[in-house]
Amino acid sequence: MSLRLARTLTGVYFGLMLVAVTWPGLVPFSRVQPLILGLPFSMAWIAAWIAGSVVVLFLLDRVEKRYRDAGDPRADPSAGPLGTGRSHPHRRATDVTDPMDGTAGGTV
Amino acid sequence: MEQWVVVTIIISAYLVLTLTIGMLAGRKSTDSVAGYVAADRSFGLLVMYFVTGASVFSAFAFLGGPGWAYSRGAAAFYILAYGALGMAPFYWIGPRVAALGRRHGYVTQAQMITGRFPSKRLSALIALLSLIAFVPYITLQMRGAGIVIEAVTDGNVPIWLGSLVAYGIVIIYVLSSGAMAVGWTNTFQGVFMVVIAWTLGLYLPNRLYGGIGEMFRQIDAARPEHLVPPGLTATGDPWTWGAFSTFILVSAVGLMMWPHLFMKAFTAKDDDTMRRTVILFPTFQLFLIPVFLIGFSGVLFAGTPQAPDFILPFMILETELPAIVVGLFCAGALSASMSTGDALLHASASVFVEDGVAKYVDMEERTQRRLMQLLVLLTGATAYVFAQDPDSSLVLLLASAYGIICQFAPPVVAALYWKRATTPGVIAGLVAGAATAFFFWQTPELKPFDMHEGIIGLLVHVPVLIGVSLATPAQDEAHVQKFMG
Repeated sequence: MSLRLARTLTGVYFGLMLVAVTWPGLVPFSRVQPLILGLPFSMAWIAAWIAGSVVVLFLLDRVEKRYRDAGDPRADPSAGPLGTGRSHPHRRATDVTDPMDGTAGGTV
Repeated sequence: MEQWVVVTIIISAYLVLTLTIGMLAGRKSTDSVAGYVAADRSFGLLVMYFVTGASVFSAFAFLGGPGWAYSRGAAAFYILAYGALGMAPFYWIGPRVAALGRRHGYVTQAQMITGRFPSKRLSALIALLSLIAFVPYITLQMRGAGIVIEAVTDGNVPIWLGSLVAYGIVIIYVLSSGAMAVGWTNTFQGVFMVVIAWTLGLYLPNRLYGGIGEMFRQIDAARPEHLVPPGLTATGDPWTWGAFSTFILVSAVGLMMWPHLFMKAFTAKDDDTMRRTVILFPTFQLFLIPVFLIGFSGVLFAGTPQAPDFILPFMILETELPAIVVGLFCAGALSASMSTGDALLHASASVFVEDGVAKYVDMEERTQRRLMQLLVLLTGATAYVFAQDPDSSLVLLLASAYGIICQFAPPVVAALYWKRATTPGVIAGLVAGAATAFFFWQTPELKPFDMHEGIIGLLVHVPVLIGVSLATPAQDEAHVQKFMG
């Protein structure tokens, strides 16, 4: 997936989430029954959007990381909207490995 | 031995342990302003995760959240909804801010904003607004600590004494070691709070109602209006959709604008650590579920606590749990209050001295550090006085503070992403937004659609920022390039 598409989809997800948990998006789901895992429907609805956001951010990070590792300036935060980036003087070699890769998705 | 004596012994042991961890950690950080404020930029993922989680979840979530679930029902879901929304943009903003911090040596939010928009007045304005927003936030943490201690000691240790002892300890370790202590004590307290919350959140509904689903079925049968968003007001009338929605919006916009959270971008060891913290952050939101379950378990329970904010300790005590569990719970709730309180005290002093006073008075590093320590004491004392007000609601204290804090979002976004923004534009927007929010906070009956005053403030703030920026000369290309390039 391209960086632009990944960022757009992430933005769309959080845009939808904002609508889904406020007026008017929450209105149709503002009820108690059916209980989901014992929770009132509206509470489970909001919790599901939160759980989904972990998945979306995790997938976004995989795409962003691929671009960062390839040295693409669009994925380099120190580059900013203008110009080219610099290296990170504080980053150590040991930090590049990603020990959380396996667990981050499993937390959901 | 009486139960409250056992509980007091457990709490004391816990407080001593916290203090020890805080003091030991402090010896490792360097004796400079950068060391005090940003912990030498050396936090790893585990510490970052719990620092962020534990500083976000505080007496507000641990006591105020159940208090709302108990008294205002589904209105409490707003607290559940905003966190993930507010944190997500930091996936990009965080590393951008960190890169600028490393390049220009920023340690506070105002330094970054005034790096782009050079103005002493702007810096002082941000420092002042931060301090105004911090006081109610610190107040709620202190009151929370006092509530827990008063409740579990059966009134033998009243709020004034409990909050004094708990925050005496917080102030000692904040004064002696700064951000490093904040980090290590939060890791310890963060783990503690998560375990206790899940255990009790699953235990209470089972013990009292025979299950979570059964509990909600009974509440729905007896009080059907309680479980349906937007929930109820403090007096039991239906809450408005306008208020429910804008409470979510204002908290999402304001969440990462809190100086103590924003400063995490400067303390992170590297960008990947920060990104992973953002990704894992919503898992902390889910931790609110068991905490709400504890509040809901009180709805049909015979007997009422002295105020809704007391519901959590009240429920724990009414179920006649062994003293050891009560003591451990109390330590968990205290840790929620103290781990946020220390970050708040530390940040309020850093911001006020670095961005306010130091802009006008030339100071040596040593003097500056002394002044910060003095300010920690003064802010603590002020909040302590407010914390004694018996009529305050923990959730509303924070919700009001968000009206001011969310006004920092437009300047931050403009500094990072809008080349055409100008210093007069940013100052005018901030003044107009904060003044509007303050006006509607004072006259709530004039608020359109019962909207949160912070959102009305933003509706004025953003057009003013854009309008005045476009009406004033653009910034020098080389300056913008230096900041964004």
